[in-house]
Amino acid sequence: MTQQVDRVSTSKPLWARYSWIGWVIVVGIAVAFPFVVDRPRFWLPNIGVRSLWLGIIAMSLVFLNRYVGLLSLAQATIAGISAYGVGYAMVTMGLGFFVAVATGIVAGTVAGFLVALIAARTKAIYFLMITLALGQVFYSYASQAIEVTNARRGLAPIKKPDLGFVNLNDITTFYFFVLALAVLCYLLCRYVAATSFGLALQGIRDSPERMAALGYRVNRYRIGAITFAAFIASIGGVVLVLDRAQVDPDVVSLGSTLDILVVAVIGGIGSLGGVFLGALVLTFLDNFAQDFTDRYQSLTGVVFIIVLLFAPAGIAGIGKQVKRVIDRRRKELSFFSVGDPQQEPPAAQSAEEAITKGKQQ
Amino acid sequence: MDQFLLVALNGLTLAAVYFLVASGLTLIFGLMRVITMAHGTSYLLGGYIGYVIAKGTGNWLLGALGAAVVVGLLGLLIHQVLIRRFQDDDMRVALITLGVSLIGTDVMLATFGGTATQVPIPKSVQVGVDLPLVGQYPLIRLLILAVAVVVGVALTLFINRTRFGSIVRAGVDDSQMTAATGVNVRIVFGLIFLLGSALAAFAGVVGGSLFPLLPGQDGTFLLFSLVVVIVGGMGSVPGAAIGAVLVGLVSQFALVLAPTYALVLTFALMVIVLAIRPQGILGKVSAL
Repeated sequence: MTQQVDRVSTSKPLWARYSWIGWVIVVGIAVAFPFVVDRPRFWLPNIGVRSLWLGIIAMSLVFLNRYVGLLSLAQATIAGISAYGVGYAMVTMGLGFFVAVATGIVAGTVAGFLVALIAARTKAIYFLMITLALGQVFYSYASQAIEVTNARRGLAPIKKPDLGFVNLNDITTFYFFVLALAVLCYLLCRYVAATSFGLALQGIRDSPERMAALGYRVNRYRIGAITFAAFIASIGGVVLVLDRAQVDPDVVSLGSTLDILVVAVIGGIGSLGGVFLGALVLTFLDNFAQDFTDRYQSLTGVVFIIVLLFAPAGIAGIGKQVKRVIDRRRKELSFFSVGDPQQEPPAAQSAEEAITKGKQQ
Repeated sequence: MDQFLLVALNGLTLAAVYFLVASGLTLIFGLMRVITMAHGTSYLLGGYIGYVIAKGTGNWLLGALGAAVVVGLLGLLIHQVLIRRFQDDDMRVALITLGVSLIGTDVMLATFGGTATQVPIPKSVQVGVDLPLVGQYPLIRLLILAVAVVVGVALTLFINRTRFGSIVRAGVDDSQMTAATGVNVRIVFGLIFLLGSALAAFAGVVGGSLFPLLPGQDGTFLLFSLVVVIVGGMGSVPGAAIGAVLVGLVSQFALVLAPTYALVLTFALMVIVLAIRPQGILGKVSAL
């Protein structure tokens, strides 16, 4: 879908050079969305805004997976901690909107830093298990600590403010606000990945031993990356809490964690932008599957497994997968047509590599 | 003192259930280097199947066996269809089995409903026995403790003393070399997956006789078995036993001392172990 930052490419293929056109189209559709749907009051909150915050949180997961090679299941929890931060500041302490949002983002980012301190020493499957377990610690805390989180009843109401020049209570305005945030988060992730910090991360992903030998402090880079991803997830958490208008333990439950994972995997776990496609799939399933089946969650699970089995790079990777098949076909054809020794271009990132393999031995 | 012993005994019987679940997980991981996130699903499904059979026939043992067989075969099917192709890709296996657990949770909720059920146990064991210092203690809990010890010893002997066990150990060290010596590793993998799933289902029947079977228990027991194997060291059966005892004791004592934060304290144990020994108490460094 996009050109790879980590590949030094002097001669990009044509489609990669004009990939920005694709982005203009995607953003254009997103901007036109409120004006083309038949029932904006249904579509904007249930599909539009929800897809965007699911996407932002899932983007933080994809960032970690793609550039650091760590699959974290704590991202939904971090977003939830950020949401609780906003809720606590606004409802319990009665602080203003901007202070509350800042509290939330700081809380989520610090939580991500703490997760990093515990989990950064481990890799692959261990990292997955530990982040999952840490997420559940917070879930059990959130559903019991009455004095902080108000236990199962949660914190409410969390009001969207009228900032004068923009009134976030207007759903269309709120949608555009969130859309702008999503685009900013995406650009920030791309920017960070292209800085020397991001390049070092990719080096560490590919060969931690070599980077350590070069003098890089591998663990510090990992901790930095996890903290940055927590920052992105915290922004998603702020949008989440503004959208839901309350925060309760469901936000950090195992189900929410799996939702984020499903979004990332269906969209494409190697693609920062693909997550929004995955989020759309999930919200569509959520809203429309019940029209023909009660087993919406099973359906989600089936889609999830099918994607993992047949399109491990997700929806965003399908284009490349098809292209590879066509290339192979063409090569087979040219094999028979004499005098045209067409070289197969070196495959870019293969779909199989999209999910970072945990090499344990 | 009595109180202390009572809590310790409760912790140990809880540890017995945790060990039964986690031993299957650690066995599968030990050989195949993959984690099955559907392990909690096997536990809960086993419990439900045991409940149905035990209620229908009135025979607890039949229920336990039936659950182990059915879920074991189901595990084998899942391994053959979904996991075998991605043997070397532990991340993909973890994610696929998460998908399986997503479906399992939903289907079980649809089939068995959301109300709590409990596997019926024979009247003859629903009695208390007099223990020195502790006083009356339910016999069923002691029996479960004994069952866990027997299973643990049997598993250890099976792995350390039998021919199949030596193949399993060889496979743990180097599955490619083992295959090269003429062992059909694929069949061994399938059998271990069957055994691991069957153990989880058996644990489900045992656990379902002590605690209610509820939607959500699948997630809880998956997490506890993950914590147990992380604490004890992945792939080691004695490690799972140590991990289970630690987790069981900590959670029961925490329940007495600070009820609100019992779960948090249990997980804090994992964090402490990870900080000191990232590979777990009996884990091998190479596995990390």
